[in-house]
Amino acid sequence: MDLGSILYLGVTFGLFVIFAAIVIRTYSRKNRDKNETAKYRMLDDD
Amino acid sequence: MEKPQYNTDIVKSFVHWSVLWGLVAVLVGVIVSIQMTNPEMNFPPYLTFGRLRPIHTNAGIFGWGVGVIFATFFYIVQRLCKVRLWSDKLAKFQLYFFNTTITASAVTLILGFTTSKEYHEMEWPIDLMIIILWVTFAINIIMTIIKRKEEQMYISLWYMLAAIVGVAILFLVNSAAVPVSFFKSYSAFAGTNDANVQWWFGHNAVAMVLTAPPLAMFYYFLPKSTGVPIYSHKISIISFWSLIFMYLWTGAHHLLWTPVPDWIQTLAMAFSIMLIAPSWGSVINGYLSMKGQWHQMRENYLVKFLILGITFYGLQTLQGPMQSIRSFSAFIHFTDWVPAHIHMGTMGWVSMVCFASIYFLVPRIYGKELYSIRLANLHFWLALTGQLLWSISLWIAGVLQAGMWNAMNPDGSLTYTFMETMVEMYPYWWVRTIGGTLFMLGVIVFIYNLFKTAHNGEKTASLAATAEGRA
Ligand code: HEM
Ligand code: HEM
Repeated sequence: MDLGSILYLGVTFGLFVIFAAIVIRTYSRKNRDKNETAKYRMLDDD
Repeated sequence: MEKPQYNTDIVKSFVHWSVLWGLVAVLVGVIVSIQMTNPEMNFPPYLTFGRLRPIHTNAGIFGWGVGVIFATFFYIVQRLCKVRLWSDKLAKFQLYFFNTTITASAVTLILGFTTSKEYHEMEWPIDLMIIILWVTFAINIIMTIIKRKEEQMYISLWYMLAAIVGVAILFLVNSAAVPVSFFKSYSAFAGTNDANVQWWFGHNAVAMVLTAPPLAMFYYFLPKSTGVPIYSHKISIISFWSLIFMYLWTGAHHLLWTPVPDWIQTLAMAFSIMLIAPSWGSVINGYLSMKGQWHQMRENYLVKFLILGITFYGLQTLQGPMQSIRSFSAFIHFTDWVPAHIHMGTMGWVSMVCFASIYFLVPRIYGKELYSIRLANLHFWLALTGQLLWSISLWIAGVLQAGMWNAMNPDGSLTYTFMETMVEMYPYWWVRTIGGTLFMLGVIVFIYNLFKTAHNGEKTASLAATAEGRA
């Protein structure tokens, strides 16, 4: 594997870490309920 | 909170133009389909399959698909942000520039100017026009989101932002070229790098034009049509982010068995299979949003279009990953199986959701009830039957074609000549033309219904408020 390939995989792995952080944040106790309010608000009369 | 005054006129104009380009796309689709069974229907130099095919694909994806994206995004962004569009003037400019760009594309393609990169055929001056168009659109949407009155961003806004940023990046990178004259340029990339960049662009155009925007529309118009919220906003967010992360790596599944490095192909294959999860996250979220509401499939024509649309999306995103597996690809690549895959996506998924969105919008932008629900139902059945005939016939054709190409005699020579395999395709291509014609008739019924809605009938108080931008 050359340097380019290692970089490519490195970026992929980095993105995975960011994704994991998003999942943790979305399902955290603090945000869990707040995250659902948007789906009710969008149904409000425009 | 003080009620904003929304801009409805711009939505109306984009609806008109996108529907017109949609009609052009399917009409040219039927013509190129006929040209395959009847080569005498090619009229060189301008009206040949080679020149009309890119007009069909570009009118379909950019005239129809992107036209509806402009119309619906302008409608949705104002309501979800509870503010008027940032700039009416910019939006108006975008409307004129959109039509000029699409017309310039059609004219240059018919004259034979092409980069020969699929879905990016237009030469560099038109690339510049597309960039101006997209930047204009991006500024207006992003600024509207920035000055929003709603703190939390509903999932449709996320998909909209992804589409805007994604298309900009893909297009810029794949446009890199060296112009040698006003109508000729050469790609800045060479060899396998060029192919890799082109299909990184190609498949992410599928993601950012044919997946993310219809999902934004689906997540907005499904709950608005049923009156009940989506099942889970959290699932929609997780599906969104995983979809965005995964799509970027899948482009090379178009280049399996080519000189592109093996590990890039394998990576693309693996990510394509993983892509089932976020895609089905949306499909399942859509189905679960119908809990207790399935009766609406019978009663509400909008729901019918939307649920069939998401069902085709589900099938598409199972079939796509299968096609990304090397052994499977070896069998179906280059065969008619692939156009069948594409049209389940474009006619089944994208167009069904676009039809539903426009049926939702038109009564609201004209302030009148839809002229005929019976005609909308007729349209639904014509679109569904047309699409199924199109795809099923070509899947069979693709398998037959692959089987014949691979057939060998005991001495190792090929059993069939290429011409023999072509002749076998004719009945299937005829069925495709019949399916396409049914689909086109559906589009004509659709336009007639919209026209009558606009020109007949009295305004209804509740809908008039939306038409005047008060709701
Ligand atoms: C999980 C999602 C998907 C995957 C993994 C996938 C995979 C693939 C693969 C492997 C091919 C190449 C077939 C070949 O030439 O051998 C292909 C072609 C294509 N797919 Fe999909 N697909 C997916 C979803 C979609 C969706 C939702 C659409 C929307 C319409 C779509 C539209 C297309 C188009 C337009 C092409 C043709 C590209 C060309 O001109 O060669 N795909 N897809
Ligand atoms: C009446 C409906 C339609 C008909 C009859 C039709 C017909 C065709 C035909 C004959 C081809 C050429 C296939 C080949 O080269 O073997 C084609 C390609 C294509 N069409 Fe359509 N089409 C229809 C609707 C649409 C729509 C609505 C869209 C987009 C929103 C679309 C997007 C495409 C694309 C992306 C390709 C390229 C396929 C590939 O690379 O293999 N089509 N269509």
